[in-house]
Amino acid sequence: MQREVGTLPLAPALRARLAAAGFQTAQELLDTGPCGLSKEIGISREEALEVLQVVRQECHGDAARTAGGSGATRKCTALELLEEEQSQGFIITFCSALDNILGGGVQLTKITEICGAPGVGKTQLCMQLAVDVQIPECFGGVAGEAVFIDTEGSFMVDRVADIAAACVQHCHLIAEAQQEEDLRKALETFSLENILSHIYYFRCRDYTELLAQVYLLPEFLSEHSKVRLVVIDGIAFPFRHDFEDLSLRTRLLNGLAQQLIIIANDHKSAVVLTNQMTTRIGQSQSTLVPALGESWGHAATVRLIFHWDNSQRLATLYKSPSQKESTIAYHITSHGFRDVQPPAVTHSTEGTEPNPRKRPRTEEEKQ
Amino acid sequence: MVVLRAGLCPGLTEDMIQLLRANGIRTVVDFVSSDLEDVAQKCSLSYKALVAVRRVLLAQFSAFPTNGADLYEELKSSTAILPTGSPGLDKLLDSGLYTGEVTELMGAPGSGKTQVCLGIAASVSLGLKQHVLFLDSTGGFTASRLYQMLRAQTEDEEEQARQVLGRLRLCFVLQLEALQRIQVVRVFNIYELLRALQELRDHLSQQVLSSVGPLKMVLLDSVSAVIYPLLGGRQSEGLALMMQLSRELKTLAREFSLAVVVTNQVTRDSSSGPLKPALGRSWSFVPSTRVLLESREGTWEKGTTQRAASLAKSPRQPTGIQVELDIG
Repeated sequence: MQREVGTLPLAPALRARLAAAGFQTAQELLDTGPCGLSKEIGISREEALEVLQVVRQECHGDAARTAGGSGATRKCTALELLEEEQSQGFIITFCSALDNILGGGVQLTKITEICGAPGVGKTQLCMQLAVDVQIPECFGGVAGEAVFIDTEGSFMVDRVADIAAACVQHCHLIAEAQQEEDLRKALETFSLENILSHIYYFRCRDYTELLAQVYLLPEFLSEHSKVRLVVIDGIAFPFRHDFEDLSLRTRLLNGLAQQLIIIANDHKSAVVLTNQMTTRIGQSQSTLVPALGESWGHAATVRLIFHWDNSQRLATLYKSPSQKESTIAYHITSHGFRDVQPPAVTHSTEGTEPNPRKRPRTEEEKQ
Repeated sequence: MVVLRAGLCPGLTEDMIQLLRANGIRTVVDFVSSDLEDVAQKCSLSYKALVAVRRVLLAQFSAFPTNGADLYEELKSSTAILPTGSPGLDKLLDSGLYTGEVTELMGAPGSGKTQVCLGIAASVSLGLKQHVLFLDSTGGFTASRLYQMLRAQTEDEEEQARQVLGRLRLCFVLQLEALQRIQVVRVFNIYELLRALQELRDHLSQQVLSSVGPLKMVLLDSVSAVIYPLLGGRQSEGLALMMQLSRELKTLAREFSLAVVVTNQVTRDSSSGPLKPALGRSWSFVPSTRVLLESREGTWEKGTTQRAASLAKSPRQPTGIQVELDIG
């Protein structure tokens, strides 16, 4: 137990007092006992007892943790992790090209970030994923529930109902084509009302509410253990205005990122964030880059950037630990997020139903 | 600043300590730097006993100088150079990763730091048959990608043997063994990281060979993810913890002859300034070698697997050398 006092999770003032009194290792603290400790540092007996409890937990807690709790210091070999990963499912997006470049779909236990200009389809994909996570396992889904944290107010229930209805219909078609008993049984519970009742919606209006919600999320997730997807739609929005102190913003964002990684890991769920784009003005040109700065770029494990190419929407996989960078095209129809139809079908480019909330892209506005 | 305690050395009893404390001598430094005749008179203790205690305390707590030749001999026998599996990177690092030192890989998001770390872990575990400890703080460790790299490496070596089924099974067994030698610990905040390093130190000093084995390499991906939430503002606690961490890493590397590799982020001063490594000036003294990874293209629209690695700080090579790496 030669753990140094400086590495124990105590309040800074307490740590300073311990250092001034000459304590160096945790073992010395345990040897002194609460009475000696309170006398030497000048704190009350109760505070000394608390300090010793923390020290004991740190030094002896490892044995309890490695016995199989959900502690994040769980050690395992790469072989065990490989087996775990191979048995994990993906959340499909109904756009097979996107699923291919992601390696099967949105991965559980990882943070995926979707960046894009306004109107390109980030919220649409989030709503599609909130429906797709509930697809039963016999159809290839993960049969989980979804948490949707909305900061921009862009969640439209009627649109989700449309997407869900299309998804249910798709599954019905598959069940009829394959004529298997368990598929039909699974469809009995996979209905519109069921899907909508398993999307837990939270509305956060500023960054303190968002931080509080994320800190309270682990409790919520341990009560609702079937949640497999956490969506935060608009993580940039509360952090981009009314922030004078940029270093505070970096610190809060990084703390938030670590919280989200812990949630993704402990509860085996996928975390999806959407980000905005900002312009970086270089020497001779200006480029669109994801917002929230350089340090935020490291928070997400997988980064997708959605952009326009004339009137075609494209998705680029920019950062991923296991897949190569590539770009594909996708479509947003009245049924939700879909592949681009092959060019043999003539009505493909006019088939995009205009999303009533966003203004349509026209030729004049592209200047 | 160790406090004087009974039992610190033979001859130091509780009564002696009380008497010394009454005269303002609380720590070892106070004792050793005070005039013993004075102390003997004021505390009415025997001068001989005090001198004996001082001798033992000096032997216990002082650092002894060694001469350069002895140090050189010791380093020659205990330092190992671990090849990283990528010839370009080896050329940059003067033939590989040196044990006893901390090496840093820095780069922008998507520049390939995690990929290079996985490649190093695969090469050390497969090629050198050494154990590797991977501390993951970003959730970016993907075992399937590691397995892909291992397969690529074994297939390179056993190309002709693929027709023989027995050798193919041997490839598979080699890959499984290599995967078992890589231990992964997920640490998501600084205290968990410090606890994991302390456990490692306990294991190594007790020489428990079962799980750790002949450990030669510790990879930490990434160090800035755990320290960034603490830095900034008006509190200096973040800096103190960062320095504690750096001391742990360096003493682990030196005492147990490990090669420690950490990854770091890059930031900008303003939205158009040049890229610089994160964590500031204080951290820049910790690693002895720093390698910067960059993507070839400026924008994110073209996807390639080529990366440019340049040497930013090194005790052995001139800085500014650049090589091409393929992380595909």
